[in-house]
Amino acid sequence: MAKWGMVIDLEKCVGCQACTIACGMENTRLPGEHWQDVIFFQEGTYPNTELKWFPRPCMHCENPSCVAVCPTRATYKTEEGQVLVDWERCIGCKYCMIACPYGVRFYTEEAPRYGGPDLKAVFPAADAHSWSPPWKAPQEDWKHGVGVQPHDVVSKCTFCYHRVSKAPKGTADLDPSNPVMREYTPACVVACSPGARFFGDLSNPNSEVNKQIANKNGVRLLDHLGNRPQVYYLTGVGGAIPNTHTTKA
Amino acid sequence: MTDLSIHTGLTRRRFLQATGAAGALGAAGLSFDAANGLTLQKVHAQPAAGPAGQTVITKSFCAQCPARCGIDVYTTNGRVHAIYGTLDNPLAGGKLCPKGHYGVYLLYDADRIKGPMKRTNPKKGRDEDPKFVPISWDEALQTVADRLNALREKGESHRYATITGRGWGYTDVGLLKQFGQLYGTPNFNLGHSSICSDASETVKHIMDGHHAYSAYDYSNCNYLLVFGAGFLESFRPFTGNMRNWGIMRSKAPKTKVTVVDVHLNTTGSAADRLLLTKPGTDGALALAMAHVILSEGLWDRQFVGDFVPVEQPKDADAPRLPEHKFEPGKEVDPATFKEIWTVGVAEWWNVELKDRTPEWAEKITTVPARDIAAVAREFALTKPAVALFERGASAHTNGVYNGMAIHALNALTGNMFAKGGLRGYQMKTAWAKLPIKAEDFMDDYAKAPERKKPRVDGAKSKRYPLAKNMIQEIAINSLKGEPYKLDTVMFYMTGPIFSAPDCSKWEEALRQIFVIDTSPYPGETNRFADLILPDNTYLERLQIADTYPYEGYPISMIRTPAVKPIFDTKTFGDAVIEIGKRIKGPTSEYYKKIGNTENIVKWMCEGFKDKPGDNGVTDFETFAQKGVWYRKPYAYLQERGVFYEWDGKGYNKVMTPEEVKAKVMPTPTGKFEIKVTELEHHAEFVHERLGIAPERAPFPQWVAPRHGGDGDLHFISPKLAGQAEGRSANLPHVAAMIQPTQGGKRNVFLEMHPEAAGKRGIKDGDRVRIKNKVGKIEAIVRVTHTTRPDTVALPMIHGHWAQGRWAQGAGRLPTGSTNEVTENLSEPLSGLACFHSGLVSVEKV
Ligand code: SF4
Ligand code: SF4
Ligand code: SF4
Ligand code: SF4
Repeated sequence: MAKWGMVIDLEKCVGCQACTIACGMENTRLPGEHWQDVIFFQEGTYPNTELKWFPRPCMHCENPSCVAVCPTRATYKTEEGQVLVDWERCIGCKYCMIACPYGVRFYTEEAPRYGGPDLKAVFPAADAHSWSPPWKAPQEDWKHGVGVQPHDVVSKCTFCYHRVSKAPKGTADLDPSNPVMREYTPACVVACSPGARFFGDLSNPNSEVNKQIANKNGVRLLDHLGNRPQVYYLTGVGGAIPNTHTTKA
Repeated sequence: MTDLSIHTGLTRRRFLQATGAAGALGAAGLSFDAANGLTLQKVHAQPAAGPAGQTVITKSFCAQCPARCGIDVYTTNGRVHAIYGTLDNPLAGGKLCPKGHYGVYLLYDADRIKGPMKRTNPKKGRDEDPKFVPISWDEALQTVADRLNALREKGESHRYATITGRGWGYTDVGLLKQFGQLYGTPNFNLGHSSICSDASETVKHIMDGHHAYSAYDYSNCNYLLVFGAGFLESFRPFTGNMRNWGIMRSKAPKTKVTVVDVHLNTTGSAADRLLLTKPGTDGALALAMAHVILSEGLWDRQFVGDFVPVEQPKDADAPRLPEHKFEPGKEVDPATFKEIWTVGVAEWWNVELKDRTPEWAEKITTVPARDIAAVAREFALTKPAVALFERGASAHTNGVYNGMAIHALNALTGNMFAKGGLRGYQMKTAWAKLPIKAEDFMDDYAKAPERKKPRVDGAKSKRYPLAKNMIQEIAINSLKGEPYKLDTVMFYMTGPIFSAPDCSKWEEALRQIFVIDTSPYPGETNRFADLILPDNTYLERLQIADTYPYEGYPISMIRTPAVKPIFDTKTFGDAVIEIGKRIKGPTSEYYKKIGNTENIVKWMCEGFKDKPGDNGVTDFETFAQKGVWYRKPYAYLQERGVFYEWDGKGYNKVMTPEEVKAKVMPTPTGKFEIKVTELEHHAEFVHERLGIAPERAPFPQWVAPRHGGDGDLHFISPKLAGQAEGRSANLPHVAAMIQPTQGGKRNVFLEMHPEAAGKRGIKDGDRVRIKNKVGKIEAIVRVTHTTRPDTVALPMIHGHWAQGRWAQGAGRLPTGSTNEVTENLSEPLSGLACFHSGLVSVEKV
């Protein structure tokens, strides 16, 4: 049984947000429904001024606060480690959104903040979907939080469940430069130009993710909270993750 | 640590608002029973799936910037839903920048134009509804042809112009030259390059003989020195830059990066060193670096050459004479310096460099002298290295001279045509030539001497003798009737009414002109158009193109349509051909023979039969399957001052100076010209326009920039990583991803230093007016340390007044184009518009 995990090398990450955009495209997300966001902040004073950033998908915590608080068990952790939302059970209570310390969950009925008309109203669905844009991706699996969701539910990064779950058993690395593995690899990893993102099996000692974590001192975001994320960051020279603040207000 | 709250969608207050009293327990399907607590039936049932469709991948290439990364377009049940980089495409390498993924939204943009239309409201203005009514393609094309035929009958065919932006080559803008030749207009293709990056091409042209962008060997480079180029945001090819960034920053030795810019961006932050210089002063930095390289003896002797040894007295006991060297403040005897592949180094030292010390440069740039000297030493001593620049350094009145100083660094350090350096220039693809020649179809009218008229944009005129294009002059020239007024204009992939400096002038000009817009989207040009001939979007088109310069070896790509046009649109190239068929006389015969763009594509691919691609592409079919044709390697290499040519197995053939001149450095001297022949020829012009003494004109030198507009703050309008060409302002996904620190989410922010803001009583989040003698716009301020105290920065993405419902979303700021406060001022040699040196004042509204 694989235990999927991600490594993000902040020394290589250039803050381009292709991961954010590719995730939104692959998973038919609304504008601003950034399952994967890149958090920017500025530090220092001119002329010793710096922009810093780090990409932030769902951490697929080993000890997920979101699962603990979900009153309907709509949010759950799979055997392979993904934390998912079963949209057939989600009642949109948003307890999970409050519980998650990483700010990675989104409520479908949020009023749009991008300016201009609500895209959901421009592309309405004729059935129980919350909207139906012409670019809608073909995959749909509400039990795993995949596809366009119904109204009034919470959505989040699935670790690209619809792709990763099709990977051959025993796969150690999902490397998008390998044509055999490319279609099983999470969209954000496929898209990342400088190759800052890695995806693979944390339970396999020979996997690339484990090598990266071991060789480059992988750290986890807000580790003191005890969520034990399955997403690791390599901070190298110049890379930075905030270690005291939560990433939401 | 800064407060991060600004970044997240959900705050506690918003949470409470959104949740309200809806009461989760009230949701359908929930019940409470004493034995089991909360139980749940299904609240939402997934609707039954439709028939499963086969997912098809078609090959194409991206249209969101000039780089042209190869793309795999995923289509299921006739709908495009994903775009990823083509693995086998050398530029994309399976990756794309954020913009590459926008294609799905662009194709299905809810504001797309559904077919050809004509205007029925004769009044034109920002707020005038054109009252378009749909017409047939036949009527649309015939309307254009009738106007053009009528102009020809009056002998006024020169008053028709095509104004073009991003052309893709042979099947669109590449068709226009023949059209101009046959129809009889010098204005067949008035390109936009003078509001793009012409200065860098001009610099390369006059110094190393290539009027082109350079190909760099980043993956082997150990030092990268970037002047005003937004390497990780906007410099092309963006995806390639980022892919190479990953290599550069993790290889051993790690590539060291120094960035020179005027405000803080991701490139500057990701670099090892950021030098925040005053706008328009990059040239002073580069000159001081050259000064250090020469005075400290750090130049590459095998490429540049050296002083001849001083003849020492025969008498062994006599005191030794000092060897020649470049001493600050002192001239050298040029006869004592023997050059190899450069021309004019010693003279340059005498007329300019000897006094250009880092201390001198500090006064001009505000960058500490010790940093300038340190970068110069690192750059010269870390090989191989690349110095590159773009508009940040060159979109100023002194832009070409700035660029020359920077480009000279590549020569001084022997990095020209070197492995890991500036590798060379783009080689040509083995396309087959069309068997039909336009010359054979020219009638007497087309051949008549009266057809030799000047272009309306003034490029290559006395005022801009070296400029390739001068799009920013068209509106004013036509308004003044100098050299004449335009009658009919067709726009393709460009909107100077928004994107040219002092863009409001275009509104006046376009009122007087019959305007044909070919964009498949609404926009500012469309608002002033009389006729709309909507193009297919790039995912609906068959098209071929050559790559943006990458590593030098030839690469070409093909767009195969992922879906049939979803509306009644026509590929621009086919519209041109159809209009041609309706022009009276032999022109029509020519276009009937050509037929359509598909014929051209198929014919040109015949060239691959003899020169198959490295990936096995030999004809149209295999090309369409793979999406890309390329043949490695680049043909030439300079190593330790020797030029080699690839002989099929290796860089084994040593080239003679004549061969180098013919094939590698086609300047008048066949050398890298630090003393530029072309500027010797134009010394009087340079003197007149820039006030430089004619004898100094040929050398890279410090020329103080003249700043357009007026006010006490410099105004720059950078391009963000998320900004695609032209259409991204109307994509809500793009508005939502732009980051507050760099841009601003729904509104883009005016970055202002706390000191500058404080002086004006401006606080973070205030609405301000940015104004100068050209115009005024309003924006929201972000008080931040990301910019110099003397410079404000406003990304150029928003401010559209006619681009669609999202671009014009209620209350979106800024209120207008950054070009409404940008004076129409051009660099005299290249004609490049001076976008980054204007002055404004900022006040609270
Ligand atoms: S795509 Fe890669 S480089 Fe770009 S922001 Fe995401 S992780 Fe960073
Ligand atoms: S990051 Fe948040 S949503 Fe994701 S598993 Fe952890 S607690 Fe749950
Ligand atoms: S793993 Fe998939 S769902 Fe999660 S952030 Fe990446 S692309 Fe989005
Ligand atoms: S670099 Fe240019 S061509 Fe490549 S994906 Fe980005 S926008 Fe498209």
